[in-house]
Amino acid sequence: VSRRKALKNACVGALLVLAAIGLGAVVAACGGGGEEHVYHPISTVSARPDVKITAVTGGANSPQVEALLAEERTGNPGPGSDLEPLAPSRFRRPVAEYRAYSVRQARGVGGAVRRLRAALAAGDVAAARRAWLDAYDHYLRLGAAYGALGKLDEEIDGDPGRLPGGTRSPEFTGLHRIEMGLWTGEAPAELRAPAAYLAAKVARLQTVVRTIRIGPTTYATRAHEILEDAQRDMLSGVDAPWSGAGLRATYDSLLATEFVVDTLRPLLNGRDSTIEPVETEDARLQEALAQVRREHGGEWPRLAAMTASQHRLVDGRLGAALERLDAIPGALEVARAQPAPTIAEQKRERGR
Amino acid sequence: MSEFGRRAFLKRAGGVGLGGLAAGYGLGAATTDARAAEETPAQRAERVNEAELGDRRRFDGVHQGGILTPAASFATFVALDSIAPGVGELTTALQALSQRARELTEGGAFPAREYDEPPYDSGTLGPDVAPDGLTVTIAFGASLFDGRYGLAARRPAHLSAMRPFPNDRLDPARTGGDVLVQIAAGHQDTVGHALRELLKPVRGSLQPRWTVAGFTGAQRGPSPHSSRRNHFGFRDGTSNPDVTDPKVMDRLVWAARGGGEPAWTADGTYQVVRAIRMHVEFWDRVGLLEQEEMIGRKRDTGAPLGGEGEFENPRYDLDPKGERIPLEAHIRLANPREPQTIDQRILRRAWNYSEGFDADGQLNVGLLFVAFNQDIDRQFVAIQERLNGEPMVDYVTPEGGGYFFAPAAARDQRDWVGSGLFA
Repeated sequence: VSRRKALKNACVGALLVLAAIGLGAVVAACGGGGEEHVYHPISTVSARPDVKITAVTGGANSPQVEALLAEERTGNPGPGSDLEPLAPSRFRRPVAEYRAYSVRQARGVGGAVRRLRAALAAGDVAAARRAWLDAYDHYLRLGAAYGALGKLDEEIDGDPGRLPGGTRSPEFTGLHRIEMGLWTGEAPAELRAPAAYLAAKVARLQTVVRTIRIGPTTYATRAHEILEDAQRDMLSGVDAPWSGAGLRATYDSLLATEFVVDTLRPLLNGRDSTIEPVETEDARLQEALAQVRREHGGEWPRLAAMTASQHRLVDGRLGAALERLDAIPGALEVARAQPAPTIAEQKRERGR
Repeated sequence: MSEFGRRAFLKRAGGVGLGGLAAGYGLGAATTDARAAEETPAQRAERVNEAELGDRRRFDGVHQGGILTPAASFATFVALDSIAPGVGELTTALQALSQRARELTEGGAFPAREYDEPPYDSGTLGPDVAPDGLTVTIAFGASLFDGRYGLAARRPAHLSAMRPFPNDRLDPARTGGDVLVQIAAGHQDTVGHALRELLKPVRGSLQPRWTVAGFTGAQRGPSPHSSRRNHFGFRDGTSNPDVTDPKVMDRLVWAARGGGEPAWTADGTYQVVRAIRMHVEFWDRVGLLEQEEMIGRKRDTGAPLGGEGEFENPRYDLDPKGERIPLEAHIRLANPREPQTIDQRILRRAWNYSEGFDADGQLNVGLLFVAFNQDIDRQFVAIQERLNGEPMVDYVTPEGGGYFFAPAAARDQRDWVGSGLFA
């Protein structure tokens, strides 16, 4: 009884909300009579003549409405899984494609670092900055790979804020050591040694990415984590404080994300309706970034040069994209060898 | 103001104050309680006030308040840097800090002043200051023991500046400080009032360096002992040593006698404070299974994974491979419950903080982590080093705080916190 009541309440509530905000309703199926009150999932409504569609929502359903939709779709009222878990082997091909892409990006980092060293040798700061940004772009486009790089990631892209002594720490090396020098007026000659160090690490990177291993769950999770990092570290200005390259870094992260999503597309097909909203929001984020770039004469502005409304636009679009991307790991649930045991089961096991 | 005028004012002020309290606190109680009819408004105010705000924590004694005391609903931490030109001014300020803290924790009406003078008290709690469980805990940072005041030789044996751990991003402006004041009470207005009053007499010597204001979740059960939740939705502080067992506290919390500790540190403790930003938007986009495996507990009940109740032993002995609770789960790394880690346990206190949004429109919220321990390296640092690189690091960024030493309480009202250091 209480469940039916809850369903009915949710149904009425949802209609009120939808009416109030004037967004389109999914369905008008909260009919009268003694019928069960149900919603129909967006993807199937067009096939149902008894359902009148007024508009399609942007997906801003309340948790209760989402739960109703999920139940209707799957016949599963509880939080149990509605999808057949994927075999880990299904991820082999996507990860292999990503590995090949990583090799190309690592080569891009290598080329940019060569140009960086040449510019430093020539004392050309403007060219060195351009080469640095290029190297940073390609490195960020590795995206899903850097979690698998271990210490090498720290050596190339380490954050001085995490070191004792900060920028004065002898351990402060890599891309950001050179960034600090290039944007604070340090003499190019001073940066040759850090650039040589970076070149050695990037040479190693080009070897390492050929054989990186990324587990299925990790890879699926990267679909949203790359942009989560962009939100936390790049758009906040934490990661590249001297060049102010957080916006272009966000764009690089979006490109990496799109590549991951592309490789996962065959696995996502037919599993919930995960991919369409992701594509919609990715495209809107892409457009927001392009708009801001246009408003700055076709160049990526430094973070500090963005207006408050440009910030809000990008923050909002990025947030909305992330709220969609977070569905991918769940939709690509991987088969577990066994469910985790309880304490009681482990006690029994041990008693045997 | 004439003597007559002053007395008339005192009388008037008293009447208005109590009447005001009665109007505020008496509502509701008067309609439900038969006794109310027989009480004067002043008595009624006193009674309601007592139930809601009457908890009184003694400032003087052996150990300072706010250490073994359960976390009060609200707490503000303020780190102060000394600008006192000499040790004399510094000790005067510390005496004033203790004196005012004692008055505030005791509560009561403050003396009136001439009508044309600024009042002694800001009045934000009314003319009769209710104690409201207020504790004021005073501690010293390593920087106080530099060359300025000739205290270098008296530095507590285990006190140093907080060095960043690999996942930290410490902002120097929000880290360290010469003197730390922890102000905790049952209501935010009590805490805010105390902060304002405590700073007043010490402005010329102690200037604020950083501050964080925290709160605990309400007690939402299921039992009165259930731990409150943090911003991740998980219960925090479940596995704490027993504060009612003096032997355990002597082993884990109070400074060791001898062993390189200066005599003045007796009955004091080391206090670790960490302002840990929690990236909650990101966290909210993580599957519950992954969340629970990062923590090692069920989100709803707080029970260890595979268990039933919050305070159940997680029984790592039954799960050596981490099939039930992953080997990298937070609770497992923090407290492995092995014989060799028993002496590493810390007394945990935690408040949530909430400081609006950051520049990117992300909620700037986090955990105000506080630990009291006998030896920071043996306990807090050992635990934190095990936690380096735990899966949860992606979702948190420690941004500030510091290491401090909270000495013994003032013995009595002629004494003050820290007097032993300058004796």
